[in-house]
Amino acid sequence: MKPSANPNWNWLRPEKNMMKNLSVNRDAKWHLNQPYNARHLMFAIVALLILAVTGSRMEVPRMVQETAQGVGYVVGLNEESSVATGVMRIAESIWPLRISEEIEVSRIENFDRNDLPWLSHVEVIESRTPHLNTETLQLEETVESKEVLVKPIGYLSHVLLKMLETLEMALWGTILAVALSIPLACFAAANYAPNRFIYNLARSTISLFRAIPELVSALFLVLAFGFGPIAGFLALGIHSAGFLGKFYAEDIENADRGPQEALQSIGAGQIKTLWYGVLPQVLPQYIAYTLYILDRNIRMATVIGIVGAGGIGLELKGRFDMFNFDHVGTILVIIFLTVIILDQFSARLRSRLM
Amino acid sequence: MLRFDSVYKRFPDGTEAIRNISLHVPKGQFCVVLGPSGAGKSTLLRMLNGLSQPTEGSVHLAGEQITERSVQRLRKRVATVHQQFNLTPRMSVALNVLSGALPQVAHWRAAIGLFPPELRQKACRLLDEVGLTPEHVNRRVSELSGGQQQRVGIARAFMMDPAVLLADEPVASLDPRISRGILELLHRQSRNHDTTVLCSLHQPELAREFGDRIIAVNQGRLVFDGTPEQLTDQVCEDLYHGALAHKHDVPEVDEAECEPELELAAA
Ligand SMILES: Nc1ncnc2c1ncn2[C@@H]1O[C@H](COP(=O)(O)OP(=O)(O)OP(=O)(O)O)[C@@H](O)[C@H]1O
Ligand SMILES: [Mg+2]
Repeated sequence: MKPSANPNWNWLRPEKNMMKNLSVNRDAKWHLNQPYNARHLMFAIVALLILAVTGSRMEVPRMVQETAQGVGYVVGLNEESSVATGVMRIAESIWPLRISEEIEVSRIENFDRNDLPWLSHVEVIESRTPHLNTETLQLEETVESKEVLVKPIGYLSHVLLKMLETLEMALWGTILAVALSIPLACFAAANYAPNRFIYNLARSTISLFRAIPELVSALFLVLAFGFGPIAGFLALGIHSAGFLGKFYAEDIENADRGPQEALQSIGAGQIKTLWYGVLPQVLPQYIAYTLYILDRNIRMATVIGIVGAGGIGLELKGRFDMFNFDHVGTILVIIFLTVIILDQFSARLRSRLM
Repeated sequence: MLRFDSVYKRFPDGTEAIRNISLHVPKGQFCVVLGPSGAGKSTLLRMLNGLSQPTEGSVHLAGEQITERSVQRLRKRVATVHQQFNLTPRMSVALNVLSGALPQVAHWRAAIGLFPPELRQKACRLLDEVGLTPEHVNRRVSELSGGQQQRVGIARAFMMDPAVLLADEPVASLDPRISRGILELLHRQSRNHDTTVLCSLHQPELAREFGDRIIAVNQGRLVFDGTPEQLTDQVCEDLYHGALAHKHDVPEVDEAECEPELELAAA
């Protein structure tokens, strides 16, 4: 179509001209590529090789075989399976869960019968030990009776307290992460960094924080601060500051420029512009991220105690090493319930805020 | 008060938004900028508050060139009504208006949103003046209509005592009655407070009625500069229709009409 002084708008009407002359070159030879070529084949071979090598190193075949045996045992095809017996043994010793706590009275210092701890009572338990009477050659039982202080929910409350400590660790880890990541994020947002050097410094600090796993930093922090929750929440805070810093910085960069320009154009300064032009835009997102990090920190705080950094993990590891599987069962159930309840709670909170 | 010296603005993609504009607007003048869509009106205004920098030439405010160093100081007396309103969407109307006074507010006050009482009263008075009601004050701006948002933006611009007021199509979303009210407000500001107003409009009749002086840009060039009386229907016709039909033709008026600028500048 030639350009004309009087523009012809007919071409805008689809029904008239749409199907005309769509083909640019009728003689063109059409050629569709094959979907696969030698490179794809090479790639598939290499991928298979990697799977084969790493699979044998990971003992994948044994895993498959023993799992199959276990399933067969459950269904009734096999008579024995090492996996199934292992699981069954643990399952049997987990149940019933350990709720109460019993302490021999003789082991308690300054025991005062008239001033028992809350909800507890003294019980006499008799333990019978069979033994062979050498004179009559009969099996006899000697009855030994001990006095024990029984706390009916003693162990449960101990675990709950530890769980509370775990939650507090997660909370303080998150608070620390927020406090660290807000200034980091401002410096790591390209449009607010004062200069290139600080920008790169902030970016690499954030990456470094994210690259240190909690369990590793906790190992070292335990050396520095001793056993207990300090090492735990510091480790959690540093790692999650890496995530929050990255998320916050990206949100600052992607925030709508309009309000920021409005404040910039009157010379409000960077801090006030961030506060009034950016924060209200990104706040719901920030809260969502922070809740997610809190959620993650709670799960992480339960295991971080394994290296001695406070919380329920230490108790879990101790009981596991002593084969007290009924105690382990109680701990696992409490962790499980807590995580589920908090998950529901934070999901509801998030949907409220959005 | 405002001066453009042979200003060119080229965007990185090659668009020439402003081509060789020289212009002087004296203190207290209400100057209306006309021009078809895409002519370069917004770009022209944005060079005065430092949101855009000229590629060539210089822009002066109160006798001082706007440079990277001076801009932070100079822009504190330049209020802008943005074409896209540029309000913070999830923030309340009250805080949006108050944020127009942020440069004068202490950091700690800004941080907790505790603006001094006189600024709060001023915000209420301005909201009343642009025709919003007390029930709007605590709503989020995203819950307002387009025209209401535009008026919030206008109230925000008045929160500082501007020496220069840049209004980029301040009545684009408003009905005729409110439009006149807003332009009256701008006009009064320039009369009573000696504020220099540069206001872009799409309505030549309003320009004639309120402007002390009217300039027109097309394709980045200054094509008309004169008094409201000199903006005849023929000039408007040329500006809008002429521009549409022959894209590379600048209306003839510009040479003839450029002289009044000198008179005004001298006045
Ligand atoms: N950031 C940018 N990058 C590239 N080109 C731009 C940019 N901003 C504006 N332009 C171009 O510059 C020219 C002038 O734009 P400007 O926004 O100043 O027009 P305007 O006169 O304000 O139009 P309107 O009346 O529609 O608001 C237009 O051609 C536009 O496409
Ligand atoms: Mg514009």
